[in-house]
Amino acid sequence: MDHILELQQICKTFPKSNFVLDKLSFSLPYGAILGFVGENGAGKTTTIGCILNTVSKDSGVVKLFGKEMQDADTDIREKIGVVYDGDNFPGFLTAKQLSQVMEGIYKQWDNGLFQKYLEDFHLPVRQKIKNYSRGMTMKLAIAAALSHHPQLLILDEATSGLDPIMRDEILDVFLEFVQDESHSILLSSHITSDLEKIADYITFIHNGKLIMTVSKNDLVYHYAVMRCKKSQFLALDPADIIAYRKRDYQIDVLVAHGKEAQRKYKDTVVDHVSIDEIMLLLVKGERV
Amino acid sequence: MKGLMKNNFFAVYANAKAFFIFMCILGIFVVAVISQPLLIGYALLSMVGFSVNAITGIKREYVSKWGKYKLTLPVQRTAIIKSYFISQLLWLLVGTLYAGIVISLSWALHGCPFDKSIDIVSIFALGICVSNFTSALFFPLFYLGGEEKSDVFLIISLLCGIGAAMGIISVLNFYLPPGITTILVGAAVLLLCSLLVFALSYPLTVGIYRKRDY
Repeated sequence: MDHILELQQICKTFPKSNFVLDKLSFSLPYGAILGFVGENGAGKTTTIGCILNTVSKDSGVVKLFGKEMQDADTDIREKIGVVYDGDNFPGFLTAKQLSQVMEGIYKQWDNGLFQKYLEDFHLPVRQKIKNYSRGMTMKLAIAAALSHHPQLLILDEATSGLDPIMRDEILDVFLEFVQDESHSILLSSHITSDLEKIADYITFIHNGKLIMTVSKNDLVYHYAVMRCKKSQFLALDPADIIAYRKRDYQIDVLVAHGKEAQRKYKDTVVDHVSIDEIMLLLVKGERV
Repeated sequence: MKGLMKNNFFAVYANAKAFFIFMCILGIFVVAVISQPLLIGYALLSMVGFSVNAITGIKREYVSKWGKYKLTLPVQRTAIIKSYFISQLLWLLVGTLYAGIVISLSWALHGCPFDKSIDIVSIFALGICVSNFTSALFFPLFYLGGEEKSDVFLIISLLCGIGAAMGIISVLNFYLPPGITTILVGAAVLLLCSLLVFALSYPLTVGIYRKRDY
């Protein structure tokens, strides 16, 4: 399978904060959406920084479109659209001025498409960005990221600050974007319901370490959480346990094959598991 | 580069517009009254003021994530710095033109406003020198120390710029006898020194900026 983005053994240390991004590896195939999940401070933004060269990595390889991107590789950055959380653009610009700036930077800037997004998202063209609401600035950033016909979208909390209706519309835009098999999206988000809706793969990180990358289909159809009593938990085969968390009256156990677990451990309750619950079990739970 | 230059222009424009109007009103006053110190002050303020104004525009970019976002655009880090240096020179040119227009008008209405007409060269040399030194010091400091300290770096750069110009003038006055040649040599030394420092500041700033994480 060809990958639009590949990270191999990425390491980055911040001595002042003692944070370490520890040998992070994952990849994003063409035509797919990869949800990037982790708690605050897990290293999501640092990872995105390493991918985009805004942060210098200590070691490891990041390949974009099969090639390591250097500062001089502006042709690779032509094919990438980026949205950061919060104010992406300076407040003194208007959307019209932003378009003029981008037109002078991107070879493939499509002013018509940008205007269409501004209309679709109900964004005023002549109002200064500093007077936009948070949701409006996010919509503007998404419009700008899409208006130079990128192949890869890298979105760092891009849907935060949007109301549910707008979020739904934006997710539809993302889904439309990946209809083209040469397009992909890396979507870092805390809003796991968004990822459940659109992601093909989910990558979990915790404290700078990769916990796992799993396809959403596996997650939905195979992963499950077993609600065990202590005696039932002790009888479990450790090989079946991905992570577990002790609660007041039960122990929640994350398993990769819910149906098999149901057959194997008949007395236990096996429930479907959400991304939120998986994250909680992986982050707050324990490993065998 | 075109997009970066446009961005730099928009960053400075809002503040420059207010400064523009202020300098117009002040210029009319300076032209109307016959005062040599006022004219000298106006010329220096115009040249240094537009440059400082341009520097403050950069600071405004870093209030948002734009400084980081720019690194994801198809431009090299070198091009970003180059655009700032070119913008800085263009705003200095605007300031110099402003000073030139007001001095010319004053001369046309009231005659030569200085003791010797050659003094005009010194004033322009001094203004350009302070402006270039200020910019040359500010950029490396800004990327080395971080954008949150930009205000203090601007003050330090401006004071150092004035100090450097005064220092050069003092040394020249000490070694060279008074006269027209000294004035011309002094002006040339001021211009050359400041341009050299400005030119050297560019690779230094690029070197620092390349190593910065955002």
